[in-house]
Amino acid sequence: MKRDATAVGAHARPDVALRLAAIRAGERAAIARAITAIENDIASARALSAALAADAGRAHVVGVTGPPGAGKSTLINALLAEFAARGRRIAVVAIDPSSPITGGAVLGDRVRMHAAGAAESVFIRSLASRGHAGGLAKATRRIVDLLDAAGFDAIVVETVGAGQSDVGIAALADTSVVVCPPGLGDDVQAIKAGILEIADVLVVNKGDQPAADRTEQELRDMLRLRAHRPGWAVRVLRTVATTGDGVPALVDALDAHATDAGRGRRLARAPAPPAATAVESRLRGFCAADPYQRLNALEFVESGPGTVTMRMRVAPQHLNFNGKCHGGAIFTLADSAFGVAANAYGVVAAGIDTHTTFQVAVSEGDVLTARSLEVSRNAKIAVYRVDVTRGDGTVVASFTGTVFMTRRPHQARPDDLRP
Amino acid sequence: MDIRPKVLVTKIGLDGHDRGSRVVAAHLRDAGMEVVYTPPWQKIEAVVKLAMEEDVDVIGVSSLATDHLIVPKLMAALRDAGLTDVVVIVGGIVPDADEQALLDVGVARVFHPGSPLDEISAYITEATARVRAARFPA
Ligand SMILES: Nc1nc2c(ncn2[C@@H]2O[C@H](COP(=O)(O)OP(=O)(O)O)[C@@H](O)[C@H]2O)c(=O)[nH]1
Ligand SMILES: [Mg+2]
Repeated sequence: MKRDATAVGAHARPDVALRLAAIRAGERAAIARAITAIENDIASARALSAALAADAGRAHVVGVTGPPGAGKSTLINALLAEFAARGRRIAVVAIDPSSPITGGAVLGDRVRMHAAGAAESVFIRSLASRGHAGGLAKATRRIVDLLDAAGFDAIVVETVGAGQSDVGIAALADTSVVVCPPGLGDDVQAIKAGILEIADVLVVNKGDQPAADRTEQELRDMLRLRAHRPGWAVRVLRTVATTGDGVPALVDALDAHATDAGRGRRLARAPAPPAATAVESRLRGFCAADPYQRLNALEFVESGPGTVTMRMRVAPQHLNFNGKCHGGAIFTLADSAFGVAANAYGVVAAGIDTHTTFQVAVSEGDVLTARSLEVSRNAKIAVYRVDVTRGDGTVVASFTGTVFMTRRPHQARPDDLRP
Repeated sequence: MDIRPKVLVTKIGLDGHDRGSRVVAAHLRDAGMEVVYTPPWQKIEAVVKLAMEEDVDVIGVSSLATDHLIVPKLMAALRDAGLTDVVVIVGGIVPDADEQALLDVGVARVFHPGSPLDEISAYITEATARVRAARFPA
C-alpha cells in the first residue's frame, strides 16, 4: 500500500518514481547513484529520501567501531562471508577520514573486504568523513535509510576509528560492535572513556596474538565493575578476522542483540518530556541530593523544556592561586546545568564528552548564571550547549556536552541519596 | 555544487609494480580528491563492481608492462554493465602503436611516463565536472 503514495508523486516527478522503483528492486547502479546524490546534497535526493523514509526500519544496522588497525575492515570481510553463508544480503558503508587540510581521502577499507565483497549479495560503499565529527560522514544516516529501503537484510557501518569520539554510531546502529586489538595499553583508557559505554558487543580481534588473553580479561573485568543494567548483557567475544575464527559466534551475538533490542532504533522518536512542573521538582530533587553541587554552593534557579538554569556566587572557596575564580568551579556550574537538564527524561544520562572555553576572568563576589540548551537529541545521544554569564550579562565561559542516554531508570529516588 | 572527484586507481593484469599507481593515488588525495586505491592483479569483474558501487567519476588504470592490452576488455565489461559515463584514463608505458587502439575503444586519455602529476589531476577535475553535469542535470 506504500506504493500508492509514490504513485501520486509519480505524476509530478517521473524521474524520482523510476529511481525509487529501481532502488526498491535492489538495482546496484541505481542505489550507488542515489548515494552519490545524497552524499553531495543534490536537490533531487531530498525527494528520494523522503519517499523512501517509509520503507526504513527493516534492516539490522550494525555499527563497527574501534581504534585504527584493530581489524574492523578485515572483520567485516569475515562477517560478510558468514552472512553470505546464511543467505543474507548485506550492505556495508565504510567511512575513512578526509584530510582536514586538502579535503582529500584514500578510501582503503573496501580493499580489505575484497574477498567477500565480490559476492553478488554484497554491496560496499566507501565514504569520506568530509570533516564531520563523531566518526561518521554527515550523510551516513540518510544513506543507511536508503540501503534499508533497498531491502538489504543488514547494513554494516564501519566508523572512522578515531576511538573515543566515535560515539555517533550509537545513535545510528541497532547494535554497536567495538573492536579492540590485543595489548591496547592507553587505548583501553579511550575505550573505557566513552566507547565502552556504547558497546553492545565487545570483540577482541587478533585473537591469534598472545596479548589477546589479557585484553579479553581486562575488558571482562571492566564490565564486571560497571553497575548492572537491566536488559541486554554486553558480550565479549574473541575473533581472528584473518581466518574467520569466532565469526559465526559473533553473528549469533548480533542476531541475539537484534532480537533483544529490535531493529530501526535510529527511527525511534526521542521520548517526549513529561509535564513541566513535575520535571522541575524532580530536577530540584537531583540538585538537592548532589553532594558536589552542595560543596560548591550551586543553586537551582529554574528549568524548562531541554533547559536548566543554575547559579553560583563566587566565594573564596572558588578561587585559584591568582585570586580569580577557578576554571574548575566554572566548569562545575556549567556541567551541572548540563547534567541536570540531560537527566530530565526519566533515564540515566551519562556524560561522555564536554568542551569548555573560558573567555573572561571572574572575580570573587561575581554571580555566575549557567543556562543549558538542548541542541539535539535522539533515543541514544543528546548534545547541550551551556553559556555561563556574569551579572553584567558578559558571557564568561561557553560549554558543550554530550550525553549517552542509557536505558536505566534513575534507580534511587533523589531523597534516598541524601546522606 | 562543490565537486570533489571520486577516483578509482587500480591495476589489472599480471604486473605487480604498483609504485606508479601509489604515487598517483597519493597525489590525487593531496589534490583534494577521494581516492579508492586497489592493489595490483584486480579482476575485471571486481573493477566493474567497485566502480559501480562507489559511483566513481574516473577510473585510472596503471600499466607498466602489458596490462594495457587488457583495457579493451575492461571497457567492454563497463559497457555491458551500463557504466558508459565513467571516464577511463590509462597511465604508464603504452607504446604509441597501442595508444590509438585504446582511444578507439573509449579510453579518454593516455598519460605517458613523465607526465606531470598536476596535469593528471587537472584533467580529472575537468573530466569530473563533465561527468557530474551529465549525471545530475540541474
Ligand atoms: N594477526 C591478525 N591480524 C589481523 C587480524 N585482523 C586484522 N588483522 C590485520 O590488521 C591490519 C589492520 O586491519 P584493518 O582491517 O585494516 O583494521 P581497521 O583499521 O580497524 O579497519 C591488517 O594488516 C590486517 O590484516 C587478526 O585477527 N589477526
Ligand atoms: Mg578500516
